[in-house]
Amino acid sequence: MRKVWAVIRREFVERVRSRWFWVSAVLGPLFFAAIIFIPLHFTATGGTKAIVVVDGTTSGFGARVADSLAQGRTFTIVARQAPRPGLVDSLTHVVGRNRLDGLLVLTDRTVESGAAEYRAANVSSFHDIDELRGVLGRLAVTARLERAGVDPATVGRAQIRIDLQTKKISGSETTGESSAQSFWLAYVMSIVLFIVIAVYGVNVMSSVLEEKTTRIVEVLVSSLRPFELMLGKVVGVGAVSIFQFAIWGLGGRLVLSQRAALVGDLGPQGGDVGQEAMFQLPPVPAATVAVFLAYFLGGFFLYSAMFAAVGAMSSNEQEARQAQQPVVFLLMIAYLSVFALANNPGSTYAVALSLVPFTSPIAMPVRWAAGSVSWIELLGSLALLGIGIALVTWIAARIYRVGILTTGKRPNVRELIRWIETA
Amino acid sequence: MTARSPSPAPILLLDRVTKRFAGHIAVDALSLSVPRGVIYGLLGPNGAGKTTTIRMIMDILEPDGGVVRVFGEPSGGRAHSERIGYLPEERGLYRKMRVLDVLVFLGEMKGIDRRRAHQLAGEWLERLGLAQWRLRRVEELSKGMQQKVQFISTMLHDPDLLILDEPFSGLDPVNAQVMKDTVLDLRSRGKTILFSTHIMEQAEKLCEQLCIIARGRKLVDGALSDIKRTHGGQHLVIGFDGSLGEAAQVFTDQRLVSKVDNYGQYAELELASGADPQQILQRLVTSGARLSRFELQEASLNKIFIDLVGPEAVRA
Repeated sequence: MRKVWAVIRREFVERVRSRWFWVSAVLGPLFFAAIIFIPLHFTATGGTKAIVVVDGTTSGFGARVADSLAQGRTFTIVARQAPRPGLVDSLTHVVGRNRLDGLLVLTDRTVESGAAEYRAANVSSFHDIDELRGVLGRLAVTARLERAGVDPATVGRAQIRIDLQTKKISGSETTGESSAQSFWLAYVMSIVLFIVIAVYGVNVMSSVLEEKTTRIVEVLVSSLRPFELMLGKVVGVGAVSIFQFAIWGLGGRLVLSQRAALVGDLGPQGGDVGQEAMFQLPPVPAATVAVFLAYFLGGFFLYSAMFAAVGAMSSNEQEARQAQQPVVFLLMIAYLSVFALANNPGSTYAVALSLVPFTSPIAMPVRWAAGSVSWIELLGSLALLGIGIALVTWIAARIYRVGILTTGKRPNVRELIRWIETA
Repeated sequence: MTARSPSPAPILLLDRVTKRFAGHIAVDALSLSVPRGVIYGLLGPNGAGKTTTIRMIMDILEPDGGVVRVFGEPSGGRAHSERIGYLPEERGLYRKMRVLDVLVFLGEMKGIDRRRAHQLAGEWLERLGLAQWRLRRVEELSKGMQQKVQFISTMLHDPDLLILDEPFSGLDPVNAQVMKDTVLDLRSRGKTILFSTHIMEQAEKLCEQLCIIARGRKLVDGALSDIKRTHGGQHLVIGFDGSLGEAAQVFTDQRLVSKVDNYGQYAELELASGADPQQILQRLVTSGARLSRFELQEASLNKIFIDLVGPEAVRA
């Protein structure tokens, strides 16, 4: 259809011509990197904690703990002091005034019965607590064994840590992907999918709204069918999003080829989980890219149809912002479940989310990246997504058709149902 | 004008077309026939169903009953969009687009090819003095210029049938003139124009054929001259020059006057059947009124319209 083609071209050209497109082409990856890494950086390290060790041990255990903690990157030992009446209270006071992060109280009972106390302003950081528990446990075991007469060298050898290497099995092949990489990939994908589907869906919505509020839509639907108009719009905006991905992808490759120079001291992990990870980075197999793109397109079509209906039933931006909320919430279900999906991709919950069309566009790529998904499941999920798109588009097109010509109050649910029935 | 019998194949035909919306009937079994090559007026008060009728002609709304035939085919306007120019009542353009791009796009929507749309748009912009604005965004244009761009978008593809919904509403006087000239020019080139309005003075000046509707129903249709003859009655216009004398008494004499529309210094009378205008003149003069005008006239379309529609519908 030549007219549909003209609608597609207009949507594409006008958007790509706009300044915003190029701003987001350049700043988008930086934005993604920022929202992905800044929170992770802070949850991972949270900065170093300055603590005082109140050392009531008589065997030198406290000194060993302090040394060992000082070697790690999590804690700075401000001082190690022998207990005296009122010391803990006065230190607590100092913590209260934010001049100190915490205090660790050790006594001889620590080695004997394992009792120790850590008081701090923030005791919710798993990372900090794990570190403390690890150091205390290791040293307490050492001290107990030595006291029992075991040769210190034997103790040392007994405590060599296990280096657990994780390899993902995909299909029945072992890949080079580590669990950390799988997780990162899943995590990054969910964020990119969520944001891009939402942003471009809202683009479709405002485009519909513009035609409705300026009444151009009346001239348009006198020349082509409302469904054709909606289709052209969705495809045109979709093409812009693909173009955007292509720019990011090419840009990413360019950055990667120069990455030694650019990445510098970010460390190996910082280097390979950037938004560039999506594109042709060695550990991202082509199949994953294909799954990502397939679900992106599916999700985009599904949600744009809904956003188009929302635009059609609203009379101004404000109404549209309210009416879009249920759609955004629907999209958020899978996004908010990303940790559950990545940690346990085989759970019933994860499987269900990856099959239901409203959540599968985010859930399935995440499961795919985090664990192995059978072909049957993948095809089933795609088939359901296809059916979902057809159904949702059918309903959305009916709302769209009535909505674009209806001004005044936004319809309630009952009126919407009548629109769907009568359109 | 005795273009009474339309040419055998009307360019547009509505046969008992009906549209219902929740709770009311917007258009009720409306039939009308627009002959080729005329200016046709669809008249009615606000809310009469004019826009709904036009939307059904344009395939924007689907009738609940009845048939619309355009160019002799049993289909609405969408199938013929390259031959129809449509100007909706409420107008707008893509504000952020360049003028030329909007016109090319809307031309493509009508079904002409891109290159041709480009060329025609350039010519039209030139003709209406907007050539130097072609690469500006629509939002940078004044309202009047935007109206011109809107006309161009309606006429760009040189349609055979123009459907204009309240074409004069909201136009500044210059553009109203441009619109009127364009309509007459198209008419002289053999095009057919259907336009809706609730302003009778315009319709009276432009239309050859018309249809008056109210509350979704047709009240009358046909050639303007025939309607005037059958519905006009005898009509008397009287202007006073200061003193009214006992004129009011004369007007209430039902043997002479069946209806009066008195403005004070000006009055329109409808003569009672068999009444003699000379007798009224005599009575007025003897009553002491000073007259500046005494004229026997055809009824104005406005008068016919109000008589048909009733004051209640006009207020709506």
